[in-house]
Amino acid sequence: MAVLKSSFAWPQKAAIAWLCLLLLVAVLAPVLPLPYPPNVPDLTAVSEPPFGPSQHWLGTDSQGLDLLSQLLFGARTALMLTLPAALLANLAGALAGGAAGFWLNSSRIAVPYWLLVAASGWWWLDLPQAGGVLSMAALVSAFIISIAKWKHCPIPAWRLPLDALIMGMATSLDTIPRLVLVVAMAAITGVAIPGLLLLLGVTSWPYSARLVRAQMLRVRALPFVEAAHAAGVHPGRVWLWHALPHAMQPLRVAFPLSLAGLLGLESTLSFLGIGLPPNVASWGRLLAGIRDDSASWWTAFFPITSLTISILSLYLLSRQKPH
Amino acid sequence: MLHKALWHLARTCLAVWALASVAFLLSYRSMSTDTEFALPDPADMVTTTTVAGRQAMLGAARHRLGLDLPLFYFGHMANSRTAWRWNGPHNQYHEWASRMLHGDFGTSFRTGRPVYYELGVALAFTLPLTGTAAVLAVFGALVLAQRLAARPWWHRAVRSLLIGLHALPLFVVALLLLLLLANPEVLAWFPAYGLNETAGDNVNIGNRLVSLAWHLALPTTALILSALPDLTLQLEANLMQEMGTEYATTARAKGLSEQRVIGDHALRNALLPSLAQIAQLLPALVAGAVVVEVVFALPGMGRLLAEAAANRDYPMLVGGVLLTGLARILALLLADLFYFWADPRIRWQF
Repeated sequence: MAVLKSSFAWPQKAAIAWLCLLLLVAVLAPVLPLPYPPNVPDLTAVSEPPFGPSQHWLGTDSQGLDLLSQLLFGARTALMLTLPAALLANLAGALAGGAAGFWLNSSRIAVPYWLLVAASGWWWLDLPQAGGVLSMAALVSAFIISIAKWKHCPIPAWRLPLDALIMGMATSLDTIPRLVLVVAMAAITGVAIPGLLLLLGVTSWPYSARLVRAQMLRVRALPFVEAAHAAGVHPGRVWLWHALPHAMQPLRVAFPLSLAGLLGLESTLSFLGIGLPPNVASWGRLLAGIRDDSASWWTAFFPITSLTISILSLYLLSRQKPH
Repeated sequence: MLHKALWHLARTCLAVWALASVAFLLSYRSMSTDTEFALPDPADMVTTTTVAGRQAMLGAARHRLGLDLPLFYFGHMANSRTAWRWNGPHNQYHEWASRMLHGDFGTSFRTGRPVYYELGVALAFTLPLTGTAAVLAVFGALVLAQRLAARPWWHRAVRSLLIGLHALPLFVVALLLLLLLANPEVLAWFPAYGLNETAGDNVNIGNRLVSLAWHLALPTTALILSALPDLTLQLEANLMQEMGTEYATTARAKGLSEQRVIGDHALRNALLPSLAQIAQLLPALVAGAVVVEVVFALPGMGRLLAEAAANRDYPMLVGGVLLTGLARILALLLADLFYFWADPRIRWQF
């Protein structure tokens, strides 16, 4: 691929064209004039080869499901699941990694905030005397603030080990391979599509968090960030508006890759029959049927081809070099 | 170095325990509702049971599964939302944790046999499979990366192939192998599934080994193909970096051939960054076994996990998570040992 890339740009154009086609098909799948609806078996035409006399243009599988509509709706499922999950994972990773890299372990949070957060937690957990604890925390906070104002000294602050917390969470999630973790958690919680989406996002953020954190360590030492600090801009604003947009640059390459990884994971999950309900069309589920009927090559050929082309297109897209 | 290795190990153990605990706590939250479904439906029952009888059955089932205890050290009372109390060590999590620490992983819901027995039977099969795949993948990567680093004419094609292979999900690779090489319609060189254990005991050991190898050829190949690209590409990149250093130039100036510069001088230094990948390899192969054993219908640990997930067999899933974590810990130890062997600077610190 790298060979082709260096002399031509056409593989990337082809990749973009394929991905756009996929997007279009996935969005328009319910309104396309398909001869057969998905998930409705046509028992008069079981395991019919493609381009045959009937209207099953790509043939049917061993249960009589029309391959073309299964493919199109499978693309829709893949897109609906992987695109939001990838966005979620990258956004969460960028925010967490960016915060960890910007503040490291040295950020200090004023004691009143700690008190109020602890008291809210107490209230949220329904521990006894929640109202009393909340008002107590508010009183103590007000007392600390007024003392600090009166003596003209800064409000006392405790350290928050943000970097250690976030990176510790990322390392913990990385100890178990993502597939095993997602399989176990999806089965244990018995999730539907929104839950699966959340699960994919939660298990995928560490990679982008590491990338953004590494870049943030470089960016936070650059002159323009120091200048913003010196100009008296609030640290939160410096982080969000000045440093983070630069620290997120690595995600431009990593986003298509994470999309490709999630596409593979989603099809693997539906191949194993975990997570998605059985009435949702997907490429992985289509491929799971091939074991019963290895003679009908078309049920494997079309999903494998579209999956392969999609993943390779995403890889090609991520290999663009900055000019 | 010892300090760092121990710290790594402790952190990994802690993370594995935390993940298993989360899995346990989540599973027991959904188990309470699952018990209701497990009882016979009142509409279907032939003998009419009173509501009280049904409640008694439910209570007995919950007691048998240990669900009548509170879930965690502190929590709400069962029926009122406002009361919050300390439950003490007499709770489900505490009992689960102490059982785990005594090596009792519980009983599988699906088969009714102890989880450690099921895992042991499955491991006896999966360990040879993944072990062979790991060893062959490492050796393959060593050989292939050294050849690629010498920049033969085919290196671009092979690199592109490896990158493409790396991109594909493992189940696609395994399905392609199955459909192309174990399919009566194309080439039926290998058996498509199973282990053919029906052959009688009178078959001699040699024939059985050959039969086993023949049945395991495709699954092992699929696992190797999943692990090889990553290892090879990383090692080759390291080798290329080492080949640009001054000691490599010196070795070339002495008149050594390119192969000997790579093999005798650059390889050991290039291996160091790759050793960290060993720690990823074993858990990744366990995850790969989930897919490969389902595709080839093999009775191993991966298929056990997949079936447990499909049947919502919680103790088995928690056991699987713990075992995968164990593979990770073992791999970390192994990687540290390799560091010790490969880098004399580390050895001198002792």
